[in-house]
Order: sequence, then C-alpha cells, then structure tokens
Amino acid sequence: MSQTVGEGGRGGALFIPRSRAMIWFNLAATFVVAAISFGLGFWQGISAQMVILYTVVLAAVLFWLINYVTIIFETRSQPLEDTAAASGADGVWAGNRVLITTMAVMLIVYLLITATVPSFRTLGNLIAFLLLEAILVFAFKVSNRFAHGRSAFIGLIVLLALVVISSFTINGFLSAANIKAILLFAAFLGIACVGQTLVALLGGLDLSIPFVIGSSNIGLLFLIGLGVPPWLALVFVLVIGAGLGFLNGVLSYRLQGQALILTLGMGFSIAGLVQILTSIGSSFGGNVFGTVPKWLQNLAAMNGRTFGLAIPPTILLWVVIAVIVIVGLRYSAFGRYIYALGGNRHSAKLIGVSEFKYWTIAYTISGFSAALTGCLLLGWSGGGFIGVGDQYLFTTLAAVVIGGTSLMGGYGGYGYTVIGVLVLQVLSAFLIGIGLKYEWQQFIFGLLILPMVALYGRAPHIRAQV
Amino acid sequence: MVMSQSRGSQNTYLLVPILLIALLLSTAVIRGPNLVSLSGFGSAIIVSAPLILATFSLMALAVAGRGTVDLAVGPLLAFINVTIVKLNGLGIVTGPFGVILVALGIGVLYQLFFALIIIFVRVQPIIVALSGFLALTGINLVILPRPGGTAPDWMSSWGLGNTIFSPILLIVLLAIAAWLLFTMTSFYANLRLMGYDERAAYTSGVRINVVRIGAHVIAGLFVGLGAICYTALIASGDPTQGTTMTLTAVTALVLGGVSLSGGRGGVAGGLLGALNLFLIGYVLATFNFGSTQAFVTQLFYGLILVLSLLLTLLVPVVGRYLYFISPFAAFVVLGCVVVGIMLHISTRDTYGVAVAGEALKADPDLLTRYLLLPVPQSGAGSALPDLTPLQKIVFGFAAILAVLTFTVRVMVAEAVSVRLGAFIYVFVSALILLLFLVVGEQSHATAIPAAGHSMEVAP
Repeated sequence: MSQTVGEGGRGGALFIPRSRAMIWFNLAATFVVAAISFGLGFWQGISAQMVILYTVVLAAVLFWLINYVTIIFETRSQPLEDTAAASGADGVWAGNRVLITTMAVMLIVYLLITATVPSFRTLGNLIAFLLLEAILVFAFKVSNRFAHGRSAFIGLIVLLALVVISSFTINGFLSAANIKAILLFAAFLGIACVGQTLVALLGGLDLSIPFVIGSSNIGLLFLIGLGVPPWLALVFVLVIGAGLGFLNGVLSYRLQGQALILTLGMGFSIAGLVQILTSIGSSFGGNVFGTVPKWLQNLAAMNGRTFGLAIPPTILLWVVIAVIVIVGLRYSAFGRYIYALGGNRHSAKLIGVSEFKYWTIAYTISGFSAALTGCLLLGWSGGGFIGVGDQYLFTTLAAVVIGGTSLMGGYGGYGYTVIGVLVLQVLSAFLIGIGLKYEWQQFIFGLLILPMVALYGRAPHIRAQV
Repeated sequence: MVMSQSRGSQNTYLLVPILLIALLLSTAVIRGPNLVSLSGFGSAIIVSAPLILATFSLMALAVAGRGTVDLAVGPLLAFINVTIVKLNGLGIVTGPFGVILVALGIGVLYQLFFALIIIFVRVQPIIVALSGFLALTGINLVILPRPGGTAPDWMSSWGLGNTIFSPILLIVLLAIAAWLLFTMTSFYANLRLMGYDERAAYTSGVRINVVRIGAHVIAGLFVGLGAICYTALIASGDPTQGTTMTLTAVTALVLGGVSLSGGRGGVAGGLLGALNLFLIGYVLATFNFGSTQAFVTQLFYGLILVLSLLLTLLVPVVGRYLYFISPFAAFVVLGCVVVGIMLHISTRDTYGVAVAGEALKADPDLLTRYLLLPVPQSGAGSALPDLTPLQKIVFGFAAILAVLTFTVRVMVAEAVSVRLGAFIYVFVSALILLLFLVVGEQSHATAIPAAGHSMEVAP
C-alpha cells in the first residue's frame, strides 16, 4: 500500500520527505525532544560530556526515524490542489469550522472547570489541556498530508500525549518496573491480536480467541501434570491451537457473514471440551493444579531474564513476532494477497488468488497465536484458569480498531495494531495510576474508540458511493 | 407450478429454526415433563422474555443493513435494569407508568444517539456498537457495583412464573403484534430495501436517514421492554450480565435465520431463535453430568450453534429440489407431532392413573384421550354420545381427511406465496393459546384429584 519509494524520495539510508513542511516539522519535533532530554540530563546530574553525547545521538536517531516514518506514510501523488482556496478570515473560518468549534468548546470547558474547582489548577492539567488541543490541530491539519496511516499517526500522537501526561501526574510512571509491566501486558495482548488483525484484514472476525487462550492455559498445565515433558506439551498445545484455528477457518469459509457467531460457537465447544477432558479422573471439577516449569515461568514472569538482561523474554518474543508479521504483510506475496483479498474478493479471485487458502491460513494463525498467548499467560500466572482469556474477547477487537485496521478488510496492518495495543495498555496504566477503578477504565475505553475512529475511519457519504 | 418454482418461498431460512425447535421441544418435553404445566410454561415465558425482546431489538437493526450488530444490547438492557432499580431504591420513580417511560426512554434515546452517529459521523456501526458496549459495561458497574437492590413492588408478582397469562406474556405478545402491524406499512418495505441495498434505496428516493432512525427507535423500544421483563425476572439489579446477554441474543438472532448482512429477518425468526436457545439450556439442564455439568452444557451449546449454522448452508440445496417445503408446511407437520407429544406427556398422569386405578373400567381410547375429553368416571355419563366403534372410526377418518385436505391446500398456497400470510400467525397463535388453555385446565384439574387419589391409594 505504501510503495512510496519515489525517485529521490529515499536517498540511500538517508530519508528525506518530499514536503518541505514535513522536514521542518520533524526538525522541530526532534529539537524539542532533544532539548527536553538535555534539560533532564543536567537535572539528573550526569556529567556534561555524557549529556551532550547522548543528546546528539538521540537527536540524530530520532530525526532519521521520524523522517523514515514520514516517507512511508507520505502522499504518493502530488499534494491535492486546494479547491478555490478562499483568503482572509472568511476562508480560514470556512476551512476549519469543525476544528475551531471543537477547540473553542474545549477551551470553554477547561476554563469553566478551572474556575470552579480549585484543585484542578495544576501544571499537569494545563499541559494535558494543551496537548489535547495540539492533538486536535494535528489530527485535523497535519494528518491530512498523509495518504495512508493517518490512524497510525494519530495513534502515535495520542500515545505520546498519554506518556507525557502520565509521567507528569503519576509518580514513578517512567520507572523501569512500570514500563516493563506495561510492555509485558502489551505483549500478551499484542500476541493475541496477531490473528485478529490478519482475520480482520480479510474481513472476518475471530471471537474464539479468549476461549482458545483459556483452554490452552489449562490444557498445557494439565499435560505437564500428566508427566508429558513440558516442551513437548507446549508444542502439542500450539499444534492443537493451530488445528482449531484451521477448523474455524474451514467451517466459517462458506459462512463468512456469520463468522462472528461461528467462531463464538467453536469457542464455547473448545472451552467445554477441554474442561471436560481435564476434569476426567480429577476430583477438583475443572480446576487444574500442577507446577509450571522454571523456564516457562521465566519466559513470561515480570522478573524474567533474557540472556542475562532483566527483560521478560515475552517482550522480545513479541517484538520478533511483530517484525515478522509487519515485514511479511508488507513484502511477501502472502501478505500482499491478503490485502488483495480483503480489498476486493472478486478481482483477487480473478488473478488466481485462492480465497479458501488464505482465509484458512489467517484463521490457523489466529488459533496459533491465541494458544501461544494462553501458554505464556500460564507462565505469567503460574496456575491454570479457564477464564484467563475472558478480557481478550473485545479487547483484541478494540486494539485492532483503535490501531486503524478496517473490520471490513483490506486496510490496515499489524503495525497499526501494535500502536493500538500500546495505546490501550498505556491508557489503562494511566487510569489505574490515577486511581480509577476497572469500570471507569472500561467506560473511558468505550468513549475513546469512537472519536479516534471518527478521526480517520469515516466512510464517504452515500451520495459518493452511488 | 413452474412459476411458483421461480418465485419460491422467501422464508426458507425459517426451516432450520423450525426443525430445531421441533427437535428441542420434543426432547425437552420427554426429558422434563414439568415444562408442560402451568408453572412450566409460565416460567419458560418469563425466563425467555428478555432474551426474545433483546433478539427482536437486534433483528430490527440487522434488517437495517450495514452489518449492524448492536453488541451493546446486553449492557444497554443491564443499564436500563440497574437504572430502574436505582431510581426505585432512591424513591424517585416507582410507579408503573414512570418505570415504563424511563425504560423505553433510555432505550430510544440510546438508539437515537447510535443512529445519529452512524448517519452523521459515518463510522461503521459495529465500531459504534463496540464503543457503546465498553462504555455501558463500565457505567453499569458504577451505578450498581454488585448485583442487588429491589425491583418496584408492583412488579414483584410478575416474575413468579406460576401462571401463563402474566403481564410478561402480554408484553411479548404486544411486541410481536406491533412488529407484525409494522410490516404492513410502506416504511417496512423501505427498511428492507435499505437493508438489502442501501444505494438502490437511496437512488430510488427512499429517505434512508429517516428509515435508519426509525429502525433504531424500534430497536430501542424493544430493548426497553426487554429490560422491564428482565427486571421482573430477577426482581433486582444486575450489572454483570451484559456480556452474556449480548452473546446469547446475537446467537439467538443467527439461530433464527436472520441475516446479519441486512434485509432479511422478521419477528418469527427472532422468536424461534430465542426460544431455541432457551430450550437448549432447558434440555441440557435435564441431563446430569455430575461435576462436569457446566462444561458439557457449554460444549453442546457451542456444537448446536455451529451445526445449525452449517445446516443453513443446506437450505438452498434442499429448497431447490423440494420447493414445496415451505416453513408453514414444516411448521404444521412438526407442530402436530410436537403438540401430540406434549399432550401425551401432560395427559399421561390423568389418564394413566385412570387406567391403573380402574383397569377394568372403560380404558380411555385414543379419541377420548387426544380430544381431551373428561375421563368417563364410574357412574357418570360419558361426554361422548355413545357411538359404536364403527361410527367412531368413520367420524375419525372424516375428521382426519378434512384436516389433511385443508393442510395440503394451505401448504401449496403457502409455498407459492411470497411472504408468510396473516393466516399462519393466527393459526399458530390459536394453536399455542389452545395448548396453554389445555395445560392450564390440566394443572387445575390434576391438583385436586391427584391429592384425592393418593389418599385413596394409600390404604
């Protein structure tokens, strides 16, 4: 989708956006971040040489990175010629009516709250307010410069704003332990979302994910308890998970409109069957007990170590999976065909892409990734529980949607989902940090999805579709 | 007949739900005969009423097209439920009029908001639904952190389920009647056209925005009614059942053959789907699997779901060769079988005891038994005029012949007709009403004689 590598668009390893404004924007962003880090460095009392060295390196890497991202999402065609660009105040008003109104409303609300609630008058809230206004400006003005990935950009900005706001309001938000915790939970959700993203790209849905997660969770522990070597049990569970995904795909192929219900029914059956199997000969009625091997605990526990580094291997695993999926979707024939099928079933079939094959493969991957999540969650919790996946029923969907992958298929990607997952996890960490309970988090998640999707996922008017 | 083949019946999608309900109902009656009694039917109606109405709400939206599956239907129902209970607890709204107004008002307002977002923000409906699902699930727990509270006093007798003709049944019947009346309007035709092909509707001058808002308002009314039934059922507030209710309602929708892609569906499908789902639970509850009961239930629930979905794939194939199989035909044939089984089971006690007790006396022949005539008591005169066996056979055959001729004629007419006629609804309601009356009569009748009889047998 984003074969934006025009001539001169990408000069070797040095990426230069075509638009002047973007270069200045990136430069400014880099400068601001560098200045902040410069100040922070001195404030922490690190020696001046180190601070300068790190700042320079940071600025260079950041500038390179932002430019790269910009190039990827930059409009391929020439900028749209402004139709009858009216000048003067009238023109500004006509072009930005919605933006100006929204910003004014937010300003009024902010002033009202500030005037009435004394405890609201803090620096953090002011910064949060300014950031929100900036997001609005960005969403309405800057993101128009990108043909693709507007959602990813909005997601990134929201993520950035969330991190900044949380680090101001919550003590120890940027501590290593907290970041590690956020990333670990993001990794669980992210791995569970791999399949959901692929399936959504084809225009389907997989609601069996939470049940497969729960089933593989207790299934693995049960197998280990039986005395099967843990590695063999893990392989077995993963294969079964992939097999169930395959079954989902085959059964739902002819019932694509009803995939939602069919996968749900499969999920119920799987969860029921696994619970029956694990409770045969057991007096605990569905509860599975056993000891999780050390290496599996290390794999997913908070204090896990990867080659001596104090990072749980699950996070690295997620990074590897993410890279493989993103690169695979973008560059491999498999990935391109998935987009082709999601975009237009009929024409993809005409060029000889087997719909059945890709549909079942997507579901197989979904089953596999769900089973993997279940196994990792076993390592994290240390005990089997069928309900461990329940929260993933709609969270995987929410992450995919917030990231910007269309549920109708053909548009999006795993990279977007990663952003969606991070937004969800950071937001939930923020909400927990400021002391909100689970129900309020849920409420805010719900309210967040709609405006975010509304910023980039609007369908054209029916007039334009006739 | 050639012409009829090309037209066919549009309601073949009802075949699978009808088949399923016949199977389930017979199993349910055989496994758990308690169903066929005044309290059995009463509690069945009350337990399934919220689900039925929630399914209707989903059905109205599904017909409107654009893949509208309102995932938030469960949380919305729970939201109205906890709001009623909370307002009742605070003493603000306690009267019947106020409660009904609040319930319907919230449902309609939410759905109106939903429709306006779809129309003006132009986001996919499923995303709006997802958003509403999460938000409402959260806010429900804020309003009522855990199940509790009490429903308004006047509602307390509704949820007992010891009688068939309860206000709950009235609500469900009203909802069904309202939808059937609605299908006669041109607004309904516009709605189906829009669901089937929105662009065609737009270009042919249908005001699609108005139609969409109308569909959502209807859905909101259904949810409001469902919430009232739910509150009566549990007699308290429960903020936690939203997800379950959504999943079961969506399942019922699909089991009823309503197309999620729009344009197809009706109150018959929704009703059958919801009843099927209730019966699945009922049948599974009659089996005893010990400690794995819950898991087996879950397993079969899922399997039936998958199988019935796969069966819908066969409907077009079957319909091509057996075009005269209309839902009506299936319904009549299967309905007779099932009603027969139900009567057999429900009358077994009365007549069975009679046979055992008075073995030498006139053993009640089939005619007496199935026409539900009073058991000829010793001494008392028989209700039937004294007929010779030959006369009985002749009259019996004549009656059966008349019924068969009539049925076949209607079946053929029905297979050719495009939509389910009003006749089938009248017929079915009459049949069901009759059954209820009979069962009610039986329950009243058996209460006293059974007691008397046991005393008699004891010594």
